[in-house]
Amino acid sequence: MDRPEDFIRISELIANDDQHAYRQLFIQFYNKLARFVMGFTKNKELTEEIVSDVFINVWRRRKNIEEIKNLKLYLYVSAKNITFNYLKKLHRENLTDLDSVEIEPEDPFADPGAALITREMNLKLKTAINALPPRCKLIYTLIKEDGLTYKQTAQLLGISESTVDNQLSIALKKISSAIRYTFRHN
Amino acid sequence: MDLHNQSQNQFWSLLAKKMSKEATTEELQELHSILLNNPNLHHQADMLAEMWQQFDKNAPGNEAAYMRHVMRYKDEFFVKENSEETLIEETLFEEKQSLIRSIFKRKRFAILSIIVLLVLAAGSVYFLSNKKTEAIASEAISSVATKNGNRTNIVLPDGSQVWLNAGSNLDYNNSHFNKDIREVSLNGEAFFDVVKNSEKPFIIHTKKMDIKVLGTSFNVRSYSDEKFAEAALIRGSLEVTLKDRDQKIILKPNEKISVANEEPKTETKPEKVNILRPDPTHIPQIVVNEIKPSPKYNIIGEIAWTQNKLYFEDENFENIAHLMERWFGKKVTIANESLKSVHYTGNFENETMEEVLSYLKLSKSFNFRIGTDNIVIY
Repeated sequence: MDRPEDFIRISELIANDDQHAYRQLFIQFYNKLARFVMGFTKNKELTEEIVSDVFINVWRRRKNIEEIKNLKLYLYVSAKNITFNYLKKLHRENLTDLDSVEIEPEDPFADPGAALITREMNLKLKTAINALPPRCKLIYTLIKEDGLTYKQTAQLLGISESTVDNQLSIALKKISSAIRYTFRHN
Repeated sequence: MDLHNQSQNQFWSLLAKKMSKEATTEELQELHSILLNNPNLHHQADMLAEMWQQFDKNAPGNEAAYMRHVMRYKDEFFVKENSEETLIEETLFEEKQSLIRSIFKRKRFAILSIIVLLVLAAGSVYFLSNKKTEAIASEAISSVATKNGNRTNIVLPDGSQVWLNAGSNLDYNNSHFNKDIREVSLNGEAFFDVVKNSEKPFIIHTKKMDIKVLGTSFNVRSYSDEKFAEAALIRGSLEVTLKDRDQKIILKPNEKISVANEEPKTETKPEKVNILRPDPTHIPQIVVNEIKPSPKYNIIGEIAWTQNKLYFEDENFENIAHLMERWFGKKVTIANESLKSVHYTGNFENETMEEVLSYLKLSKSFNFRIGTDNIVIY
């Protein structure tokens, strides 16, 4: 479920009080939103509270949910706004800076046994991804793992699309150099 | 590396755009020509593309988070109306909660999650008749069906995803699914993306085959009104048991198996057969083929429907009519016998039935008449 028509369908169901549809939305996006929020809060309990707030707002305003043009982007923007408000209350404004975000992407190969990848190469990729600069890693994660478009990423983070393009190019270049290294040493 | 800095940056930018599906046709061509001129970049590009496709759709923990969320905002989900149903559900919810709390202090959350989920799934009607039952076991068969013209996406209790094509149905037993094995029955066509769990094999029962997997993605097509049933493996591994032969066949990635739906009348006893390569002189019972993407459209025909594409390659009109009938949900009749054996190739995405037919007409002409729920081709 990641196509616009899927979101329209799920919105219709939720507007009609369908808890199963709501659960499906929650389960699909919980971990992704939690990873995004965690990057700013660095606190597990607070993260859970924030993501829970994001979803309860969706449920509370379900009668008007169909007015939301892009539900997926809405979830992320809402997560960001609630996070920033929380952090402001805690007097930690400076932590809402994109350059201090600490995001943890998934393992490059979640199931290395199934792919034609050596354990060593998998580890190299993972190390390279983790070594990316914070902002670069955040953009890489939002696009590759959360499946946001360049435009959505730009809107969410308040940056230009060409910055997104640049940062993602840098990410790929750095990650690929890890592979090149492995290649040479084999 | 042979590329100078600027075009190197350009290369990574183009590759990123391609993988995130942001690239325009021109950009794809540009990337292609850079790769042609720099074969040393192929390995990295392939590896990154492979990595890009990997994702763990259902990491554990979110189900539990949902239950904690529901409990945090319990009042908003279990509305106190005068409805008898909601009251009973809520009472039971509280009873279970206190019971479990007294027994398990530490592991409360995890266990409660499981029970509450079952409560929600089983539904309140059940509890009206079985209020005191401790173990929640019910013959809760979940059945998802699509009409012609519709397709849907289902997430199974283990997180596995199923895309169900038109005119199909998928059944599973809610209370048994995910216990020791994960079992579903399919009539029609579905694409499965199964969450890996080597301890609980995933089995799909169809009329002709049982298909067993551990964690993989593949397409199963078993419409009872078609000549062949098929299973096409995209990645992972898959074991097919042919029901009327007691024969097992292991598929490798990018292979598909086709099994004839009709037994030839002459055959009296089912016996083991060798797997045959396609042979134009007769229609074999079982064929294992390699899955090949269409060179013209660069899509895999077997799973084109999951990308909302109506695709057929060198297919006869009779079969295409059948396919369109399911796709658009309108009865299609070919009134002129000689048209049935005409072959067409096509790839459509948002076109209406009329547009598709008008397009096909261009290569070999015919007439058609569109009614409210049927179409006659002549």
